[in-house]
Amino acid sequence: MQEVAQQITAAAAAVRHFWDVTPRAGIMLGSGLAGLADEIAVEHTIEYSDIPHFPRTTALGHKGHLTCGRLSDVPVIAFQGRFHLYEGYSAQQAALPARLTRALGADTLIVSNAAGGVNPRYAVGDVMVIDDHMNLLFDNPLIGVNDDNLGPRFPDMSSPYDRVLMEIAIEVARRADFVLHRGVYLAMLGPTYETRAEYRMARHLGADAVGMSTVPEVIAACHAGMRVLGLSTITNVGSPDAPNGTSGHDVIVAAKLATEKVTRIVQAVVASLD
Amino acid sequence: MLELYDQAQAAAEAIREQWDLTPRAGIILGTGLGGFADRIEKAVVIDYEKIPHFPRSTAVSHRGRLVCGMLEGLPVMAMEGRFHQYEGYPLQQITLPVRVMKSLGSDLLIVTHAVGGLNPYYVPGDVMIIDDQINLMGDNPLVGINDDRLGSRFPDMSAPYTPELIAAGQAIARREDFPVQRGVMVAVTGPNLETRAEYRFLRQIGADVVGMSTVPEVIVAVHSGMRVFGLSVVTDMCLPDCLEPANVEEIIAVANSAEPKLRALVLGILAHERSKGK
Repeated sequence: MQEVAQQITAAAAAVRHFWDVTPRAGIMLGSGLAGLADEIAVEHTIEYSDIPHFPRTTALGHKGHLTCGRLSDVPVIAFQGRFHLYEGYSAQQAALPARLTRALGADTLIVSNAAGGVNPRYAVGDVMVIDDHMNLLFDNPLIGVNDDNLGPRFPDMSSPYDRVLMEIAIEVARRADFVLHRGVYLAMLGPTYETRAEYRMARHLGADAVGMSTVPEVIAACHAGMRVLGLSTITNVGSPDAPNGTSGHDVIVAAKLATEKVTRIVQAVVASLD
Repeated sequence: MLELYDQAQAAAEAIREQWDLTPRAGIILGTGLGGFADRIEKAVVIDYEKIPHFPRSTAVSHRGRLVCGMLEGLPVMAMEGRFHQYEGYPLQQITLPVRVMKSLGSDLLIVTHAVGGLNPYYVPGDVMIIDDQINLMGDNPLVGINDDRLGSRFPDMSAPYTPELIAAGQAIARREDFPVQRGVMVAVTGPNLETRAEYRFLRQIGADVVGMSTVPEVIVAVHSGMRVFGLSVVTDMCLPDCLEPANVEEIIAVANSAEPKLRALVLGILAHERSKGK
Protein backbone atom coordinates (compact mmCIF):
# COMPACT_ATOMS: atom_id res chain seq x y z
CA MET A 1 0.00 0.00 0.00
CA GLN A 2 3.03 2.26 0.20
CA GLU A 3 2.64 3.34 -3.42
CA VAL A 4 -1.01 4.38 -3.02
CA ALA A 5 -0.16 7.75 -1.44
CA GLN A 6 2.08 8.66 -4.38
CA GLN A 7 -0.53 7.53 -6.90
CA ILE A 8 -3.19 9.61 -5.18
CA THR A 9 -0.96 12.68 -4.97
CA ALA A 10 -0.32 12.46 -8.71
CA ALA A 11 -4.00 11.91 -9.49
CA ALA A 12 -5.06 14.84 -7.29
CA ALA A 13 -2.50 17.12 -8.92
CA ALA A 14 -3.90 16.20 -12.34
CA VAL A 15 -7.45 17.04 -11.24
CA ARG A 16 -6.38 20.36 -9.70
CA HIS A 17 -4.61 21.22 -12.92
CA PHE A 18 -7.99 21.15 -14.68
CA TRP A 19 -10.24 22.34 -11.83
CA ASP A 20 -8.71 24.14 -8.90
CA VAL A 21 -11.61 24.05 -6.44
CA THR A 22 -11.86 22.12 -3.17
CA PRO A 23 -14.86 19.80 -3.41
CA ARG A 24 -17.04 19.19 -0.37
CA ALA A 25 -18.05 15.71 -1.48
CA GLY A 26 -17.23 12.96 -3.95
CA ILE A 27 -20.12 11.08 -5.52
CA MET A 28 -19.77 7.58 -6.98
CA LEU A 29 -22.42 6.97 -9.61
CA GLY A 30 -23.44 3.34 -9.95
CA SER A 31 -24.96 1.41 -12.86
CA GLY A 32 -27.65 3.43 -14.61
CA LEU A 33 -27.44 6.39 -12.22
CA ALA A 34 -25.49 8.62 -14.57
CA GLY A 35 -28.64 10.80 -14.81
CA LEU A 36 -27.76 12.25 -11.43
CA ALA A 37 -24.75 13.88 -13.08
CA ASP A 38 -27.11 15.90 -15.30
CA GLU A 39 -28.10 17.89 -12.20
CA ILE A 40 -24.54 19.04 -11.68
CA ALA A 41 -23.61 22.50 -13.01
CA VAL A 42 -20.53 21.19 -14.79
CA GLU A 43 -17.37 23.24 -14.61
CA HIS A 44 -15.03 20.62 -15.97
CA THR A 45 -15.10 17.04 -17.20
CA ILE A 46 -11.95 14.96 -16.94
CA GLU A 47 -11.53 11.65 -18.74
CA TYR A 48 -10.17 8.88 -16.53
CA SER A 49 -7.43 8.39 -19.10
CA ASP A 50 -6.18 11.89 -18.15
CA ILE A 51 -5.94 10.96 -14.47
CA PRO A 52 -2.68 9.15 -13.62
CA HIS A 53 -3.08 5.61 -12.20
CA PHE A 54 -6.81 5.48 -12.97
CA PRO A 55 -7.77 2.27 -14.76
CA ARG A 56 -10.28 2.14 -17.61
CA THR A 57 -13.85 1.10 -16.83
CA THR A 58 -15.04 -1.90 -18.81
CA ALA A 59 -18.48 -2.36 -17.22
CA LEU A 60 -21.83 -2.06 -18.99
CA GLY A 61 -23.61 1.20 -18.12
CA HIS A 62 -20.45 2.85 -16.80
CA LYS A 63 -18.67 5.68 -18.58
CA GLY A 64 -15.21 6.70 -17.52
CA HIS A 65 -14.94 10.33 -16.51
CA LEU A 66 -14.90 12.66 -13.56
CA THR A 67 -17.43 15.49 -13.54
CA CYS A 68 -16.37 18.55 -11.53
CA GLY A 69 -18.90 21.25 -10.72
CA ARG A 70 -21.63 22.33 -8.35
CA LEU A 71 -24.64 20.45 -7.05
CA SER A 72 -27.06 22.50 -4.91
CA ASP A 73 -24.39 25.24 -5.19
CA VAL A 74 -21.87 23.05 -3.37
CA PRO A 75 -18.64 22.07 -5.15
CA VAL A 76 -18.57 18.33 -5.80
CA ILE A 77 -16.85 15.77 -7.97
CA ALA A 78 -18.82 12.90 -9.45
CA PHE A 79 -17.23 9.68 -10.68
CA GLN A 80 -19.08 8.39 -13.72
CA GLY A 81 -17.76 4.87 -13.93
CA ARG A 82 -16.27 2.78 -11.15
CA PHE A 83 -13.84 -0.11 -10.99
CA HIS A 84 -15.16 -3.52 -10.08
CA LEU A 85 -13.32 -6.57 -8.86
CA TYR A 86 -15.09 -8.68 -11.46
CA GLU A 87 -13.36 -6.60 -14.14
CA GLY A 88 -10.10 -7.93 -12.81
CA TYR A 89 -9.19 -4.86 -10.74
CA SER A 90 -7.93 -5.21 -7.19
CA ALA A 91 -9.88 -3.82 -4.25
CA GLN A 92 -7.10 -1.27 -3.91
CA GLN A 93 -7.76 -0.01 -7.45
CA ALA A 94 -11.51 -0.03 -6.82
CA ALA A 95 -10.89 2.26 -3.84
CA LEU A 96 -8.88 4.88 -5.76
CA PRO A 97 -11.84 7.25 -6.32
CA ALA A 98 -12.52 7.40 -2.57
CA ARG A 99 -8.91 8.18 -1.83
CA LEU A 100 -8.79 10.81 -4.57
CA THR A 101 -11.87 12.48 -3.09
CA ARG A 102 -10.12 12.69 0.28
CA ALA A 103 -6.88 13.96 -1.27
CA LEU A 104 -8.78 16.79 -2.98
CA GLY A 105 -10.00 17.94 0.43
CA ALA A 106 -13.54 16.52 0.65
CA ASP A 107 -14.52 14.68 3.80
CA THR A 108 -17.77 13.19 2.51
CA LEU A 109 -18.25 10.29 0.11
CA ILE A 110 -21.62 9.50 -1.41
CA VAL A 111 -21.82 6.07 -3.03
CA SER A 112 -24.65 4.71 -5.13
CA ASN A 113 -25.07 1.34 -6.73
CA ALA A 114 -27.50 -1.04 -8.36
CA ALA A 115 -28.31 -4.03 -6.18
CA GLY A 116 -30.49 -7.11 -6.10
CA GLY A 117 -33.07 -7.04 -3.33
CA VAL A 118 -33.12 -10.10 -1.09
CA ASN A 119 -35.40 -8.59 1.54
CA PRO A 120 -38.85 -9.80 0.42
CA ARG A 121 -40.36 -6.39 1.19
CA TYR A 122 -38.23 -4.68 -1.45
CA ALA A 123 -39.58 -3.99 -4.94
CA VAL A 124 -37.83 -3.15 -8.20
CA GLY A 125 -37.22 0.60 -8.40
CA ASP A 126 -37.04 1.04 -4.60
CA VAL A 127 -34.11 2.84 -3.02
CA MET A 128 -32.32 1.64 0.11
CA VAL A 129 -30.08 3.79 2.27
CA ILE A 130 -27.18 1.57 3.29
CA ASP A 131 -27.13 1.17 7.06
CA ASP A 132 -24.28 -1.34 7.09
CA HIS A 133 -22.46 -3.74 4.82
CA MET A 134 -20.86 -7.17 4.67
CA ASN A 135 -17.71 -7.90 2.70
CA LEU A 136 -17.80 -11.24 0.84
CA LEU A 137 -15.49 -10.03 -1.95
CA PHE A 138 -12.61 -12.07 -0.53
CA ASP A 139 -10.43 -8.97 -0.87
CA ASN A 140 -9.85 -5.75 1.06
CA PRO A 141 -8.33 -2.49 -0.21
CA LEU A 142 -6.22 -2.20 2.96
CA ILE A 143 -4.25 -5.42 2.47
CA GLY A 144 -0.53 -4.72 2.50
CA VAL A 145 1.83 -2.64 4.59
CA ASN A 146 -0.29 0.14 6.08
CA ASP A 147 0.52 3.74 5.21
CA ASP A 148 -0.16 5.61 8.45
CA ASN A 149 -0.52 8.86 6.51
CA LEU A 150 -3.63 7.45 4.84
CA GLY A 151 -5.22 5.94 7.93
CA PRO A 152 -4.87 3.51 10.81
CA ARG A 153 -3.82 -0.15 10.47
CA PHE A 154 -7.09 -1.46 11.95
CA PRO A 155 -9.94 0.91 11.07
CA ASP A 156 -13.03 0.70 13.24
CA MET A 157 -16.07 -0.40 11.23
CA SER A 158 -18.72 -0.09 13.93
CA SER A 159 -20.63 2.44 11.84
CA PRO A 160 -19.15 2.90 8.38
CA TYR A 161 -22.20 4.87 7.20
CA ASP A 162 -22.81 8.27 8.78
CA ARG A 163 -25.97 8.44 10.93
CA VAL A 164 -26.59 12.15 10.36
CA LEU A 165 -26.46 11.83 6.58
CA MET A 166 -28.70 8.76 6.80
CA GLU A 167 -31.30 10.73 8.78
CA ILE A 168 -31.27 13.49 6.16
CA ALA A 169 -31.89 10.90 3.43
CA ILE A 170 -34.80 9.39 5.35
CA GLU A 171 -36.31 12.83 5.93
CA VAL A 172 -36.07 13.69 2.22
CA ALA A 173 -37.89 10.50 1.27
CA ARG A 174 -40.62 11.10 3.86
CA ARG A 175 -41.23 14.66 2.67
CA ALA A 176 -41.14 13.68 -1.01
CA ASP A 177 -43.45 10.76 -0.23
CA PHE A 178 -41.49 7.80 -1.58
CA VAL A 179 -40.36 4.54 0.01
CA LEU A 180 -36.79 4.52 1.30
CA HIS A 181 -35.58 1.32 2.92
CA ARG A 182 -32.73 1.14 5.36
CA GLY A 183 -30.75 -2.07 5.18
CA VAL A 184 -27.61 -4.11 4.88
CA TYR A 185 -25.65 -4.34 1.62
CA LEU A 186 -23.71 -7.52 0.87
CA ALA A 187 -20.89 -7.30 -1.66
CA MET A 188 -20.09 -10.42 -3.69
CA LEU A 189 -17.49 -10.80 -6.41
CA GLY A 190 -19.67 -11.48 -9.47
CA PRO A 191 -19.81 -11.15 -12.44
CA THR A 192 -22.33 -14.01 -12.35
CA TYR A 193 -25.63 -13.05 -10.76
CA GLU A 194 -26.44 -15.04 -7.66
CA THR A 195 -27.87 -18.54 -7.78
CA ARG A 196 -31.07 -19.18 -5.83
CA ALA A 197 -29.00 -20.90 -3.15
CA GLU A 198 -26.72 -17.88 -2.94
CA TYR A 199 -29.70 -15.54 -2.54
CA ARG A 200 -30.97 -17.72 0.31
CA MET A 201 -27.52 -17.61 1.88
CA ALA A 202 -27.37 -13.82 1.53
CA ARG A 203 -30.74 -13.41 3.23
CA HIS A 204 -29.81 -15.90 5.93
CA LEU A 205 -26.61 -14.02 6.65
CA GLY A 206 -28.57 -10.81 7.22
CA ALA A 207 -28.35 -8.99 3.90
CA ASP A 208 -31.17 -6.90 2.45
CA ALA A 209 -29.49 -6.20 -0.89
CA VAL A 210 -26.66 -7.86 -2.84
CA GLY A 211 -24.25 -6.19 -5.25
CA MET A 212 -20.76 -6.31 -6.71
CA SER A 213 -19.26 -2.98 -5.68
CA THR A 214 -19.18 -0.16 -3.10
CA VAL A 215 -17.60 -2.01 -0.19
CA PRO A 216 -13.97 -1.36 -1.28
CA GLU A 217 -14.64 2.38 -1.65
CA VAL A 218 -16.40 2.57 1.70
CA ILE A 219 -13.62 0.70 3.50
CA ALA A 220 -11.06 3.12 2.05
CA ALA A 221 -13.27 6.08 3.01
CA CYS A 222 -13.52 4.82 6.61
CA HIS A 223 -9.76 4.29 6.62
CA ALA A 224 -9.38 7.92 5.50
CA GLY A 225 -11.79 9.14 8.20
CA MET A 226 -14.52 10.24 5.79
CA ARG A 227 -18.26 10.40 6.32
CA VAL A 228 -20.18 8.10 3.99
CA LEU A 229 -23.71 8.01 2.62
CA GLY A 230 -24.64 4.91 0.62
CA LEU A 231 -27.67 4.41 -1.60
CA SER A 232 -28.67 1.20 -3.34
CA THR A 233 -31.19 1.10 -6.14
CA ILE A 234 -33.09 -2.18 -6.16
CA THR A 235 -32.91 -3.19 -9.80
CA ASN A 236 -34.02 -6.79 -9.50
CA VAL A 237 -35.50 -8.93 -6.80
CA GLY A 238 -33.65 -12.10 -5.91
CA SER A 239 -36.54 -14.38 -5.08
CA PRO A 240 -35.17 -17.92 -4.70
CA ASP A 241 -38.58 -19.51 -4.53
CA ALA A 242 -39.98 -17.92 -7.67
CA PRO A 243 -36.87 -17.63 -9.81
CA ASN A 244 -36.78 -15.17 -12.65
CA GLY A 245 -33.79 -14.41 -14.82
CA THR A 246 -31.71 -11.26 -14.53
CA SER A 247 -29.84 -9.41 -17.27
CA GLY A 248 -27.46 -6.47 -17.21
CA HIS A 249 -29.89 -4.58 -19.44
CA ASP A 250 -32.87 -5.03 -17.04
CA VAL A 251 -30.70 -3.68 -14.24
CA ILE A 252 -29.94 -0.49 -16.14
CA VAL A 253 -33.58 0.10 -17.06
CA ALA A 254 -34.68 -0.34 -13.44
CA ALA A 255 -31.90 1.90 -12.17
CA LYS A 256 -33.11 4.72 -14.38
CA LEU A 257 -36.56 4.49 -12.75
CA ALA A 258 -34.99 5.23 -9.39
CA THR A 259 -32.65 7.97 -10.56
CA GLU A 260 -35.04 10.75 -9.61
CA LYS A 261 -35.32 9.52 -6.02
CA VAL A 262 -31.57 9.12 -5.66
CA THR A 263 -31.03 12.57 -7.16
CA ARG A 264 -33.34 14.26 -4.63
CA ILE A 265 -31.60 12.59 -1.72
CA VAL A 266 -28.11 13.40 -2.95
CA GLN A 267 -29.06 17.04 -3.65
CA ALA A 268 -30.40 17.46 -0.11
CA VAL A 269 -27.44 15.76 1.52
CA VAL A 270 -24.97 17.83 -0.46
CA ALA A 271 -26.88 21.04 0.41
CA SER A 272 -26.56 20.14 4.08
CA LEU A 273 -22.78 20.13 3.77
CA ASP A 274 -22.68 23.82 3.05
CA MET B 1 -10.05 -13.18 -20.53
CA LEU B 2 -9.41 -12.11 -24.12
CA GLU B 3 -6.86 -14.88 -24.81
CA LEU B 4 -9.28 -17.68 -23.86
CA TYR B 5 -11.12 -17.70 -27.15
CA ASP B 6 -7.96 -18.39 -29.14
CA GLN B 7 -6.73 -20.92 -26.57
CA ALA B 8 -10.01 -22.84 -26.75
CA GLN B 9 -9.90 -22.78 -30.55
CA ALA B 10 -6.33 -24.11 -30.61
CA ALA B 11 -7.14 -26.90 -28.16
CA ALA B 12 -10.29 -27.82 -30.09
CA GLU B 13 -8.28 -27.94 -33.30
CA ALA B 14 -5.74 -30.34 -31.76
CA ILE B 15 -8.54 -32.65 -30.62
CA ARG B 16 -10.32 -32.51 -33.96
CA GLU B 17 -7.17 -33.70 -35.70
CA GLN B 18 -7.47 -36.98 -33.80
CA TRP B 19 -11.23 -37.29 -33.41
CA ASP B 20 -13.54 -35.59 -35.85
CA LEU B 21 -17.01 -36.27 -34.40
CA THR B 22 -19.16 -33.54 -32.87
CA PRO B 23 -19.65 -34.37 -29.20
CA ARG B 24 -23.21 -34.33 -27.92
CA ALA B 25 -21.96 -34.10 -24.34
CA GLY B 26 -18.81 -33.27 -22.43
CA ILE B 27 -18.35 -35.28 -19.25
CA ILE B 28 -16.04 -34.43 -16.34
CA LEU B 29 -15.18 -37.43 -14.17
CA GLY B 30 -14.34 -36.65 -10.56
CA THR B 31 -12.42 -38.39 -7.77
CA GLY B 32 -12.76 -42.18 -7.88
CA LEU B 33 -14.93 -42.13 -10.97
CA GLY B 34 -12.19 -42.36 -13.55
CA GLY B 35 -12.97 -46.06 -14.34
CA PHE B 36 -16.15 -44.92 -15.98
CA ALA B 37 -14.24 -43.86 -19.10
CA ASP B 38 -13.51 -47.54 -19.89
CA ARG B 39 -17.12 -47.86 -21.04
CA ILE B 40 -16.58 -45.46 -23.91
CA GLU B 41 -16.46 -47.33 -27.22
CA LYS B 42 -14.28 -46.60 -30.26
CA ALA B 43 -12.31 -44.46 -27.87
CA VAL B 44 -9.63 -42.03 -28.95
CA VAL B 45 -7.51 -41.22 -25.90
CA ILE B 46 -5.58 -37.97 -25.84
CA ASP B 47 -3.22 -37.11 -23.00
CA TYR B 48 -3.64 -33.60 -21.62
CA GLU B 49 0.01 -32.86 -22.42
CA LYS B 50 -0.80 -33.25 -26.11
CA ILE B 51 -3.54 -30.61 -25.97
CA PRO B 52 -2.37 -26.98 -26.18
CA HIS B 53 -3.11 -24.84 -23.10
CA PHE B 54 -4.42 -27.77 -21.03
CA PRO B 55 -2.90 -27.91 -17.53
CA ARG B 56 -1.59 -31.18 -16.02
CA SER B 57 -3.69 -32.86 -13.37
CA THR B 58 -1.85 -33.45 -10.10
CA ALA B 59 -4.66 -34.71 -7.83
CA VAL B 60 -4.83 -38.23 -6.33
CA SER B 61 -6.81 -40.70 -8.50
CA HIS B 62 -7.07 -38.24 -11.36
CA ARG B 63 -5.34 -39.48 -14.50
CA GLY B 64 -5.10 -36.61 -16.93
CA ARG B 65 -6.44 -37.65 -20.30
CA LEU B 66 -9.34 -36.97 -22.58
CA VAL B 67 -11.37 -39.95 -23.79
CA CYS B 68 -13.42 -39.29 -26.91
CA GLY B 69 -15.78 -41.90 -28.33
CA MET B 70 -19.28 -43.34 -28.29
CA LEU B 71 -21.38 -43.82 -25.19
CA GLU B 72 -25.02 -44.93 -25.33
CA GLY B 73 -24.85 -44.35 -29.08
CA LEU B 74 -23.81 -40.72 -28.80
CA PRO B 75 -20.42 -39.14 -29.43
CA VAL B 76 -19.07 -37.81 -26.13
CA MET B 77 -15.81 -36.51 -24.73
CA ALA B 78 -14.89 -37.40 -21.15
CA MET B 79 -12.21 -35.83 -18.99
CA GLU B 80 -10.41 -38.37 -16.85
CA GLY B 81 -8.85 -36.06 -14.34
CA ARG B 82 -9.84 -32.49 -13.63
CA PHE B 83 -8.06 -29.44 -12.35
CA HIS B 84 -8.66 -27.85 -8.97
CA GLN B 85 -8.16 -24.40 -7.53
CA TYR B 86 -6.21 -25.98 -4.64
CA GLU B 87 -3.60 -27.27 -7.11
CA GLY B 88 -2.74 -23.65 -7.75
CA TYR B 89 -4.43 -23.27 -11.12
CA PRO B 90 -6.32 -20.07 -11.90
CA LEU B 91 -10.04 -20.68 -12.46
CA GLN B 92 -9.79 -19.53 -16.08
CA GLN B 93 -7.33 -22.35 -16.78
CA ILE B 94 -9.35 -24.94 -14.83
CA THR B 95 -12.39 -24.18 -16.94
CA LEU B 96 -10.71 -24.08 -20.34
CA PRO B 97 -11.78 -27.69 -21.15
CA VAL B 98 -15.44 -26.63 -20.85
CA ARG B 99 -14.85 -23.89 -23.41
CA VAL B 100 -13.17 -26.49 -25.62
CA MET B 101 -16.20 -28.79 -25.34
CA LYS B 102 -18.38 -25.89 -26.43
CA SER B 103 -16.02 -25.05 -29.31
CA LEU B 104 -16.25 -28.64 -30.52
CA GLY B 105 -20.03 -28.34 -30.63
CA SER B 106 -21.25 -29.83 -27.36
CA ASP B 107 -24.13 -27.99 -25.72
CA LEU B 108 -24.36 -30.26 -22.67
CA LEU B 109 -21.96 -30.55 -19.74
CA ILE B 110 -22.23 -33.50 -17.35
CA VAL B 111 -20.16 -33.01 -14.18
CA THR B 112 -19.49 -35.54 -11.46
CA HIS B 113 -17.49 -35.15 -8.29
CA ALA B 114 -16.96 -36.52 -4.81
CA VAL B 115 -18.31 -34.45 -1.91
CA GLY B 116 -18.79 -34.48 1.83
CA GLY B 117 -22.38 -34.74 3.04
CA LEU B 118 -23.72 -31.99 5.32
CA ASN B 119 -27.40 -32.87 5.17
CA PRO B 120 -27.90 -35.37 8.01
CA TYR B 121 -30.36 -37.43 5.97
CA TYR B 122 -27.62 -38.35 3.49
CA VAL B 123 -25.42 -41.46 3.86
CA PRO B 124 -22.03 -42.29 2.35
CA GLY B 125 -22.48 -43.75 -1.12
CA ASP B 126 -25.52 -41.59 -1.88
CA VAL B 127 -25.67 -39.85 -5.23
CA MET B 128 -27.08 -36.32 -5.25
CA ILE B 129 -28.37 -34.57 -8.35
CA ILE B 130 -27.11 -31.00 -7.99
CA ASP B 131 -30.07 -28.63 -7.89
CA ASP B 132 -28.10 -25.47 -7.24
CA GLN B 133 -24.74 -24.21 -6.03
CA ILE B 134 -23.05 -21.69 -3.74
CA ASN B 135 -19.67 -20.29 -4.75
CA LEU B 136 -17.44 -19.76 -1.69
CA MET B 137 -14.18 -20.14 -3.61
CA GLY B 138 -13.48 -16.44 -3.35
CA ASP B 139 -12.90 -16.29 -7.09
CA ASN B 140 -14.83 -16.53 -10.33
CA PRO B 141 -13.61 -17.76 -13.73
CA LEU B 142 -15.28 -14.76 -15.41
CA VAL B 143 -13.26 -12.08 -13.60
CA GLY B 144 -11.55 -9.84 -16.15
CA ILE B 145 -12.58 -8.06 -19.32
CA ASN B 146 -15.46 -10.02 -20.81
CA ASP B 147 -15.05 -11.56 -24.26
CA ASP B 148 -18.51 -11.23 -25.81
CA ARG B 149 -17.67 -14.06 -28.25
CA LEU B 150 -17.67 -16.43 -25.27
CA GLY B 151 -20.75 -15.20 -23.39
CA SER B 152 -22.40 -12.26 -21.65
CA ARG B 153 -20.85 -9.99 -19.02
CA PHE B 154 -23.36 -10.82 -16.29
CA PRO B 155 -24.65 -14.37 -16.77
CA ASP B 156 -27.97 -15.14 -15.14
CA MET B 157 -27.64 -17.93 -12.57
CA SER B 158 -31.27 -18.46 -11.62
CA ALA B 159 -31.11 -22.07 -12.89
CA PRO B 160 -27.52 -23.13 -13.60
CA TYR B 161 -28.49 -26.81 -13.58
CA THR B 162 -31.07 -27.54 -16.27
CA PRO B 163 -34.40 -28.26 -14.52
CA GLU B 164 -35.54 -30.63 -17.26
CA LEU B 165 -32.43 -32.79 -16.81
CA ILE B 166 -32.81 -32.77 -13.01
CA ALA B 167 -36.32 -34.17 -13.45
CA ALA B 168 -35.06 -36.71 -16.00
CA GLY B 169 -32.35 -37.82 -13.54
CA GLN B 170 -34.90 -38.36 -10.79
CA ALA B 171 -37.08 -40.39 -13.15
CA ILE B 172 -34.10 -42.59 -14.09
CA ALA B 173 -33.36 -43.32 -10.41
CA ARG B 174 -37.01 -44.26 -9.78
CA ARG B 175 -37.02 -46.54 -12.80
CA GLU B 176 -33.75 -48.19 -11.78
CA ASP B 177 -35.04 -48.39 -8.19
CA PHE B 178 -32.33 -46.64 -6.21
CA PRO B 179 -32.60 -43.55 -4.00
CA VAL B 180 -31.17 -40.32 -5.32
CA GLN B 181 -30.85 -37.04 -3.43
CA ARG B 182 -31.38 -33.56 -4.84
CA GLY B 183 -29.68 -30.65 -3.17
CA VAL B 184 -27.35 -27.67 -2.97
CA MET B 185 -23.58 -27.97 -3.34
CA VAL B 186 -21.19 -25.41 -1.90
CA ALA B 187 -17.66 -25.16 -3.30
CA VAL B 188 -14.72 -24.09 -1.15
CA THR B 189 -11.06 -23.79 -2.09
CA GLY B 190 -9.59 -26.57 0.05
CA PRO B 191 -7.27 -28.43 0.08
CA ASN B 192 -7.76 -28.85 3.82
CA LEU B 193 -11.06 -30.39 4.82
CA GLU B 194 -13.39 -28.19 6.82
CA THR B 195 -13.31 -27.70 10.57
CA ARG B 196 -16.40 -28.61 12.58
CA ALA B 197 -17.23 -24.91 12.86
CA GLU B 198 -16.95 -24.54 9.09
CA TYR B 199 -19.25 -27.53 8.52
CA ARG B 200 -21.85 -25.92 10.80
CA PHE B 201 -21.47 -22.66 8.90
CA LEU B 202 -21.87 -24.33 5.48
CA ARG B 203 -24.95 -26.23 6.61
CA GLN B 204 -26.40 -23.04 8.02
CA ILE B 205 -26.01 -21.13 4.74
CA GLY B 206 -28.05 -23.80 3.00
CA ALA B 207 -25.63 -26.39 1.59
CA ASP B 208 -26.39 -30.12 1.50
CA VAL B 209 -22.91 -31.16 0.35
CA VAL B 210 -19.48 -29.53 0.16
CA GLY B 211 -16.78 -30.02 -2.46
CA MET B 212 -13.67 -28.39 -3.91
CA SER B 213 -14.56 -28.34 -7.61
CA THR B 214 -17.37 -28.14 -10.18
CA VAL B 215 -18.60 -24.58 -9.47
CA PRO B 216 -16.05 -22.94 -11.82
CA GLU B 217 -16.83 -25.36 -14.65
CA VAL B 218 -20.57 -24.86 -14.22
CA ILE B 219 -20.24 -21.06 -14.23
CA VAL B 220 -18.32 -21.26 -17.51
CA ALA B 221 -20.84 -23.70 -18.99
CA VAL B 222 -23.66 -21.25 -18.14
CA HIS B 223 -21.58 -18.39 -19.58
CA SER B 224 -21.19 -20.46 -22.77
CA GLY B 225 -24.92 -21.17 -22.97
CA MET B 226 -24.55 -24.90 -22.25
CA ARG B 227 -27.05 -27.03 -20.40
CA VAL B 228 -25.70 -28.69 -17.26
CA PHE B 229 -26.37 -31.93 -15.40
CA GLY B 230 -24.41 -32.38 -12.16
CA LEU B 231 -23.94 -35.37 -9.87
CA SER B 232 -22.31 -35.38 -6.44
CA VAL B 233 -21.19 -38.65 -4.88
CA VAL B 234 -21.35 -38.45 -1.08
CA THR B 235 -18.12 -40.15 -0.01
CA ASP B 236 -18.16 -39.26 3.68
CA MET B 237 -20.44 -37.53 6.13
CA CYS B 238 -19.40 -34.21 7.64
CA LEU B 239 -21.57 -34.08 10.75
CA PRO B 240 -19.88 -31.59 13.05
CA ASP B 241 -21.06 -33.19 16.25
CA CYS B 242 -19.80 -36.70 15.54
CA LEU B 243 -16.98 -35.98 13.15
CA GLU B 244 -14.38 -38.62 12.39
CA PRO B 245 -11.04 -37.99 10.71
CA ALA B 246 -11.30 -38.29 6.93
CA ASN B 247 -9.48 -41.13 5.19
CA VAL B 248 -8.64 -40.57 1.54
CA GLU B 249 -8.48 -44.31 0.66
CA GLU B 250 -11.92 -44.83 2.21
CA ILE B 251 -13.34 -41.82 0.34
CA ILE B 252 -12.11 -43.23 -2.97
CA ALA B 253 -13.49 -46.70 -2.10
CA VAL B 254 -16.95 -45.25 -1.36
CA ALA B 255 -16.83 -43.22 -4.57
CA ASN B 256 -16.07 -46.42 -6.50
CA SER B 257 -18.94 -48.26 -4.79
CA ALA B 258 -21.39 -45.61 -6.00
CA GLU B 259 -20.31 -46.10 -9.59
CA PRO B 260 -23.30 -48.28 -10.66
CA LYS B 261 -25.77 -45.53 -9.69
CA LEU B 262 -23.67 -42.88 -11.32
CA ARG B 263 -23.36 -44.96 -14.48
CA ALA B 264 -27.13 -45.51 -14.63
CA LEU B 265 -27.73 -41.78 -14.31
CA VAL B 266 -25.15 -40.67 -16.87
CA LEU B 267 -26.16 -43.33 -19.40
CA GLY B 268 -29.83 -42.59 -18.71
CA ILE B 269 -29.32 -38.87 -19.37
CA LEU B 270 -27.50 -39.66 -22.62
CA ALA B 271 -30.38 -41.98 -23.64
CA HIS B 272 -32.78 -39.15 -22.77
CA GLU B 273 -30.74 -36.82 -25.01
CA ARG B 274 -30.72 -39.34 -27.83
CA SER B 275 -34.49 -39.85 -27.59
CA LYS B 276 -34.97 -36.09 -27.97
CA GLY B 277 -33.02 -36.42 -31.22
CA LYS B 278 -31.37 -33.09 -30.61
